[in-house]
Order: sequence, then structure tokens, then C-alpha cells
Amino acid sequence: MTEMTPAARERLDNYLQRMRTELRGTRSVVADEVEQSVREHIEIALAEAQGPIGATEVIGVLDRLGPPERWLADEERPAWRQFMDRIRTAPDDWRLAYLAFAMFLLSMLLFPAVGPMLIIPAMIVSRAYVELARDRGEPLGARRWLVYPSIAVVLAIATGLLIIGPPLGFMAMMFDHRFDQIFDVPSSEFGRIRFTAGFGGVLFGSWWILAAAFCAAFLRPIRFVFAPLLDGLRRKHFAVLAAIGAVVAAAGATLIYYRY
Amino acid sequence: MNDLSFDNWTTQLRKGLLELAVLNTIADAPLYGYEIVRRLSDVDHLVITEGTVYPILSRLKNSGLVDTYLQESQEGPPRKYYRLTPRGRDDLHRMNQHWESLHHAIGSLRKERKR
Repeated sequence: MTEMTPAARERLDNYLQRMRTELRGTRSVVADEVEQSVREHIEIALAEAQGPIGATEVIGVLDRLGPPERWLADEERPAWRQFMDRIRTAPDDWRLAYLAFAMFLLSMLLFPAVGPMLIIPAMIVSRAYVELARDRGEPLGARRWLVYPSIAVVLAIATGLLIIGPPLGFMAMMFDHRFDQIFDVPSSEFGRIRFTAGFGGVLFGSWWILAAAFCAAFLRPIRFVFAPLLDGLRRKHFAVLAAIGAVVAAAGATLIYYRY
Repeated sequence: MNDLSFDNWTTQLRKGLLELAVLNTIADAPLYGYEIVRRLSDVDHLVITEGTVYPILSRLKNSGLVDTYLQESQEGPPRKYYRLTPRGRDDLHRMNQHWESLHHAIGSLRKERKR
């Protein structure tokens, strides 16, 4: 290629790099072919210049070629690039919502690895957006599809952990310690099953009563953290959970009492 | 229509017409990329950024409307020439006919409004 000053070469290399980045992943266009044609264009445009070509001449040619970011129509660009552009150029009202959704998608894609750590920041951004919309008195409208998913996923995980986490862990620990040495467990298979089911019932039921009491006491912070999905949460819902817990615990106790 | 909407409208119109313009440029004889760009740039308001033409040429080649060949040049490295394929020539004919009928239709609407 034509002899250039280092500054001119750097300008050209930067431009070609931007072009490659912009054309990467575009299905309707062959990026290498476009690059080859653009190189040919630049070389012909600079052919008549004398001596090593300076940055000024190169900039002139590149300015006429225009920014590669404007070469393609939106529909020709890869979906991910369109999405990133929307985050970058969307109205302020939407940008944060797109960012929240992008973080949510990333956390789902990386779920087994670092996803669980990313879902919390995604939820925080979503919650910030919900609060922003509330402060402005704006309904979320279609934007709720971008901000609700991360809040919903964290809510589902938190609910699952709250309902089954501690009692399940406790039961596993008891099995590890051969709880038939601690309790009077029947030796027959049927008796053992009855006792285990009864033990589980008492454990889960008691935990649900405790958890319901705890959540009822901290109703407002819980509603705030998971707003707007839990805006309709009331103490009566925890009363229902406590009642179910009481029934399950009573059934469990009955099974233990009549284990023989 | 405010300035922003007008700019957007002209951009969309230009993008739509540029493909037709590129095909018409090489209808009579094969041309290399720089020459195509230069000829299109001579048409007022058609090409704002010259680089836009190259992705269009690549897309037209991918679609089978255009093919390329290299030819030695006395003024530097070999140049890539673009020429219409038979399918490209058929499509260009249809596109030109469609453009003519659109142009005619818009012209008729404007005449009616002037009456």
C-alpha cells in the first residue's frame, strides 16, 4: 500500500478497525470483501499524492468515505448490535430499561457460572428504573417487559429458598447424623417412612409458621425490595402460609405419634 | 414536517434508491469501485458518505445480481471491476420500470394538486 507517515497510518488503521467491527456478523455483506474494496478505494484516492502521505490527506479521504457506523441500514446489522445501539442511543426513558434487560439476559446465559451473581445487579438496576418511573409519575407500559424479568427471577429464587431451603437443609443434616440414633425410629420399613414423613411435616410446618411471622413483621421492606411485583402483598397472605404450616406440622406430629 | 423528520425521510429514500443507482451505473459497462463511487457522488444528494456504496456492492454480489473480476491497472494494483449478471440485468429492468411508474404516479398526484 501507499507510503504513509506514522500518524496517517495510525488514522487509517483505526478507521479500518472500526469498519471491521461494524461489519462483523453482518449476513448480507462479506466484511473482507468490503474491506478489500475500501482499501482499493483509499489507494486510488491517494495515488496522486507525492511523497509519504500525511494524516491530512488520509483524513480527507476517510471523511468522504464517512463513518462506517452509518454505512449499513439498521435491519442489516446483527441483532445484538442493534440491541446495543438501542441501549446507547435510546431515549433516556428507555436506556436504563434496556440495560436492565441486557444484564438479565447475560445472567441467564451465564447462569451455571456467574449468572447468579449477575442477577442481583440486574434486579437492582430494574428496581432503580421502577422507582425512577414512579418518581416521574409515569406508567411503565411496555417497558415492564424489560424490567420485570430480573425482579421475577430473584423473587422466585428467594421464595424457593425461604419455603424449602432451611428445613430441607436441616433434614439432610439429620439424615447425615443417623437420626434413628437420636429419635425412637421404628425398625420396620413402613414405620420409618411414616416417621420420616412426620418429621418432615413438623419441620416444614414449623418453619413456615416462623417464616410467615418473620415476613409479616417485615412486610414493608419485602414489598419495597420486590416492588412492583409484590405491591399487592398483605399480612393475610402470610397468615395463610402460617395456617398451612400449622396444618402440615399437626399432620406431621400425628404421623410421628402413630408411627408404630 | 420538522427538520429531523425531513432528514430521516431523505435518508430512507436515498438508501432505497442507492441500490438502483449502483446497478444503473454499471449497466452499460463494468466499472471498478472507486469509479462507481465517483460517478454516484456527482449526482446531487444521492451519496452523502462514499463508503455506503461498498456494502451495497457486496450485497448485490451476494444476491447474484453483480459479479466481479480483477483487471490489471497501469496506475497501481489490480482493480476489482463490477458487472451485471444476466439476473442482475433482468432485475434492473424491473426495478427501473417500477421506479418509472412510481415517478409517474407521484407526478400525477402533484399535477392534480396544482389544478
